[in-house]
Amino acid sequence: MKISDKARQQAESCRFCWMCRHVCPIGNADGQERNNARARALMVSYVIRGTEKLEDIATNMYECSLCGACANNCKTGWDPRLFIQEVKTQIILEGKEPEYIRKLLDNYSSCGAVFGKMDKGAQQLLQKMQEEYSDGKVLLLAGEMAVNKDAESLEKTLKLLSKGSESICLDKSADNTGYSLWYLTGKTKETVECARKCAEALNKYEKVVVYNPVELSFIRHEWKEWGITLKARVVGLNEELLDLINNDKLKVRKSDIEYSLQDNFAYARELDDVTSGRQLIEKVGIVKDMLLINKEANLAGQLIMNEYMPNTMKLVAKNRWMNAMNMGCKTLVTENPDEHVLLKENVPEGYKVITVEEMVLDNLA
Amino acid sequence: MNEFLFTQILTELEDAVGKENCSTKLVDKVAHSVDYFWLSRMWADRGREMPMGDFIVSPKDAQEVSKVLKIANYYKIPVTTWGGGGGTQGGAIPVCGGILLDTKRMNQIYDINEQGMYIECGAGAIYKHIEWAANERGYSTMHFPSSLTCSTVGGFLAHRGIGVVSTKYGKIDDMVLQMEVVLPNGDIINTSSAPKHAAGPDLNQIFIGSEGTLGIITKAQIRIYIQPEVRRFRGFLFKNMHAAFEASRELLQIFKPSVMRLYDDAETASLIKKIVGVAKPGAFMNIAYEGKKELVDVEEKILLETFAKYGAEDLGSEYGEKWWEEKITFFYPGHMMDLPQMFGTMDTIAPYDKIEEIYWAMKKAIETKYPNIKFIAHFSHWYEWGAMIYDRFICDNPPQDPIEAMKLHNEVWTTGVRTALAHGGVVNDHHGVGIKLGRLMKEQYGPAMQVFEGLKKSLDPNGIMNPFKLGL
Ligand SMILES: Cc1cc2nc3c(=O)[nH]c(=O)nc-3n(C[C@H](O)[C@H](O)[C@H](O)COP(=O)(O)OP(=O)(O)OC[C@H]3O[C@@H](n4cnc5c(N)ncnc54)[C@H](O)[C@@H]3O)c2cc1C
Ligand code: SF4
Ligand code: SF4
Repeated sequence: MKISDKARQQAESCRFCWMCRHVCPIGNADGQERNNARARALMVSYVIRGTEKLEDIATNMYECSLCGACANNCKTGWDPRLFIQEVKTQIILEGKEPEYIRKLLDNYSSCGAVFGKMDKGAQQLLQKMQEEYSDGKVLLLAGEMAVNKDAESLEKTLKLLSKGSESICLDKSADNTGYSLWYLTGKTKETVECARKCAEALNKYEKVVVYNPVELSFIRHEWKEWGITLKARVVGLNEELLDLINNDKLKVRKSDIEYSLQDNFAYARELDDVTSGRQLIEKVGIVKDMLLINKEANLAGQLIMNEYMPNTMKLVAKNRWMNAMNMGCKTLVTENPDEHVLLKENVPEGYKVITVEEMVLDNLA
Repeated sequence: MNEFLFTQILTELEDAVGKENCSTKLVDKVAHSVDYFWLSRMWADRGREMPMGDFIVSPKDAQEVSKVLKIANYYKIPVTTWGGGGGTQGGAIPVCGGILLDTKRMNQIYDINEQGMYIECGAGAIYKHIEWAANERGYSTMHFPSSLTCSTVGGFLAHRGIGVVSTKYGKIDDMVLQMEVVLPNGDIINTSSAPKHAAGPDLNQIFIGSEGTLGIITKAQIRIYIQPEVRRFRGFLFKNMHAAFEASRELLQIFKPSVMRLYDDAETASLIKKIVGVAKPGAFMNIAYEGKKELVDVEEKILLETFAKYGAEDLGSEYGEKWWEEKITFFYPGHMMDLPQMFGTMDTIAPYDKIEEIYWAMKKAIETKYPNIKFIAHFSHWYEWGAMIYDRFICDNPPQDPIEAMKLHNEVWTTGVRTALAHGGVVNDHHGVGIKLGRLMKEQYGPAMQVFEGLKKSLDPNGIMNPFKLGL
C-alpha cells in the first residue's frame, strides 16, 4: 500500500495506543472496538505488513467523521486523519471501496452531489432562492451539505444577510468546494480539480461568506496546502454576522434566554475559533455551556456518513443531546448544517435546536 | 468448526443480541485480537495474526449477556470478555477463539445517586465517561488510572485496577458498592446491597479480580466523592529510598495524602528528568494532599515536618503540579516505552518489612541474569502497612524472531515474579494475571488455589469462561 512516510509513522504510533478512545464520537455511539484511532491504525499497520488486505479494512476508514477529537486530545501531535485520508485514496485507486461508497460516488458523477437527487421541495426552494439572490458582490457559499439537506436554513441566512444590507447572492457554479469528494476519496486529481474550479468561481466575488465551518476549514487548510489561492476575501458566517451586528447593520435585542452552543469542531479545533458563536449568543441572550465544548467539542452528526450509517448517526446525535440534558441545556445552537439536521431529527421532548442565524433572526430588534 | 454448525451458532447469537451487534468480519476480529499486552503487540508488530474470536458480540445488558452465555454453554464454546482491551496481561485475548463478548454497549448511566454517593452504570462504560457524569454534578469518582480514557468499569473491576489518588481514596475494589453479574450458566445475580456486612463472605470480592473466568460483570455502583476544596502538591528529593520509606510510613500513621509517588534513582534520572524536569540525583517523591483547606493546612505542616526529619529536600510545589498536568503524558507513544523495546510492569505489593528487600532482590535478579535489561521502579500506592512497587524491565534489543522474543519475555517475567514471591510479594498488584502470569498463581497460592479452582468448577463446569486466564 502506498502511503506517505508521515502517514505510516502516524499509524505505527497510534496502533497500540488507546488514549483517545473516550472522545471518538463514533466509537462512543456504537460501542464498537474498531471505531477509534488505535483500531484504525492497527488495521492499517497490518495492511502495511501484508498480513491483512486493503479491502478488509476499507469500511473501517469510512466510519471516521474526521472530527479530529482524537488529534486534539493527543499529546503526541499526531493526527490519525492523515493516514485515514491517504488510505482512502489507496482504496479508491485500487477500486476496493465498499459498495455504499461507490453508490455515493456514482451519485456525484450523475447529479453532482453525493446525496443524489434532491427532493422536490428542496429543489424548488433552492431554485427560488437562486432566482431571488442571483446578483451581488458578496457570495454565500452554501456548500453541498446545506444545499442538499438544509435549504430552509439557507433561506433564513440569506434573509438575514440581506437585512444587513449586504448585496448577497447564491451561485450554483461556486458551490462545490470538493469537500465531500475529499471526504470520500482523499486527495485525488478529481478532488483538487473540483476545488480549483470552485476557487475560480469564488474569485469573481469581492467577499465570500462560507456557511459551513467544515468547508471554511477545508478552504483554509487543504486548498492552501494544494496551492489553491483565493483573491476573494473569505469569512465564516459567524464572523460576518458579528460584523453586521457590531456595525449596527443588524440590530438585535438582548434577552435572558439561555442558549447552549454546539461548537462545531471545524471552528473550534481547525480554525481556532471558540469565541464567535458565544459572542453571537451574548448579543441576544445568555450562554449556558454544557460539557465537552470549545476545543473539546463533541461531534453531533455528519451528513455524508448519515447516508450509509444512519443508525450510528442517530446515536451520535442522541449522545450529544444527553450532554445537553445532563446540564439542563434546553436550546442548542448549531454552527454547521450536519449537526443542525441530525440534532433536529433526534430532538428530545422539551428541547430545541436552532442555527446561529435562526437565533439572530429570532432576536432582531 | 464446520460451516453448518458455525452458521447455526451465528444465527442464535444474532437472535440474542441483534444482527448489527454480532459480527464475523475480519475488522472486528482483528480489532479484538491485540490488547495492551506486550506479547500481542509484538506479535502484531511482526506481522503475525493473533488468535481471534469467531463471533464478536456486543450485548446491551445482562439479559442479552445471559442469552449469549446460555448459547455458549450449550455448544461448549469459549467466551472471552473484552472491555477496553487496555489490559496488560493478555486477559482479553480470545486465545481459544469462540465468542468474543465486548461490553462497551453496556455503557448506560442508570443513576447518579447523590444520597447514596454512587453512580450506577453498565460495566462497559469507559471510566472517563462516568467521571464526566460525576463532574457534571460536581463530584468525582477519584479513580484516575493512566488508562482512565480507554478502559472500562468492568475491566478495572476484573483486573483490580488502581488510580493515582488511591492512597486517600482507595483501589477499585474499595470503590464499588453493589454489582450485577451474569454467571456462566446465564443466571443474573446481584451482590449484597452494601459492600460492608456480615452476611457471609463478600460476593463482590469473588468477582472483582476474576478476569471474566467466573462470570461477566454487567452493572456496578461506583462511589463518588465531593471535589476537594484544594489539592496541593509538594515535590521532595530523598538521598535514598530507605529514608523515603521510613518517612512515608511515619506519615501514613498520621494522615493519608492522595498522591504518593516515590521514584527510584534510575526512574528519577530518566522519566522524571524528561517529563517533570528534576535534574538532580536521588529519589524524587511527589505528594498531593487535598480536601478542606483548614485540614490541608494542617496536613501540609505535618508533611513538611515529617519529611524534613528524614533529610528530604523540599522542591516546592512546581514539580508536583507539573507531574499532575503531565501524569498521562508518560503513556503516549514517544513518551512511553514502545516496540522495538521489550518491557513489562511487574507490580507487586508487600508490607513495609519486606517491600525494600523485594525491590532490591528483583532488581538484582533481573539485572544479573539479563545484563542487557534495565530495571526501574516507582512506588505509587501506599497504605499504613505497606506499599506497591511499580517496577519495570526494559530491553532495548529483544530478538526479532517472535518466538524467541516470546521465550525471552516469559523467562524474564518468571524470574522477576518468582523473586517477588520468594521475598514475600504477590503475583501482581493492580494489572491482574491474564495469560501472562497464570502459571505463577499456583506458586503464590499453593493449596489455597483449590478455592479458586473449586469456584471455577462449580460455576463454570464446561470451562467456557476465558480459558487459560488467571491460571484457571
Ligand atoms: C495507557 C495505559 C495505562 C494504564 N494505566 C493503568 C493504571 O494506571 N492503573 C491500572 O490499574 N491499570 C492501568 N492500565 C491497565 C488497564 O487499563 C487495566 O488493566 C484495566 O483494568 C483494563 O480494563 P479494560 O476495560 O481495558 O479491560 P480489558 O483489557 O478489555 O480486559 C481485562 C480483563 O478483564 C476481563 N473483563 C473485562 N470486562 C469485564 C467484565 N465486565 N466482566 C468480567 N470480566 C471482564 C477481560 O476478560 C480481561 O480478562 C493501563 C493500560 C493502558 C493501556
Ligand atoms: S491520536 Fe494520539 S491518543 Fe489517539 S491513538 Fe494516536 S497516538 Fe494515541
Ligand atoms: S477523527 Fe473523530 S471520528 Fe475519526 S477517529 Fe478521530 S475522534 Fe474518531
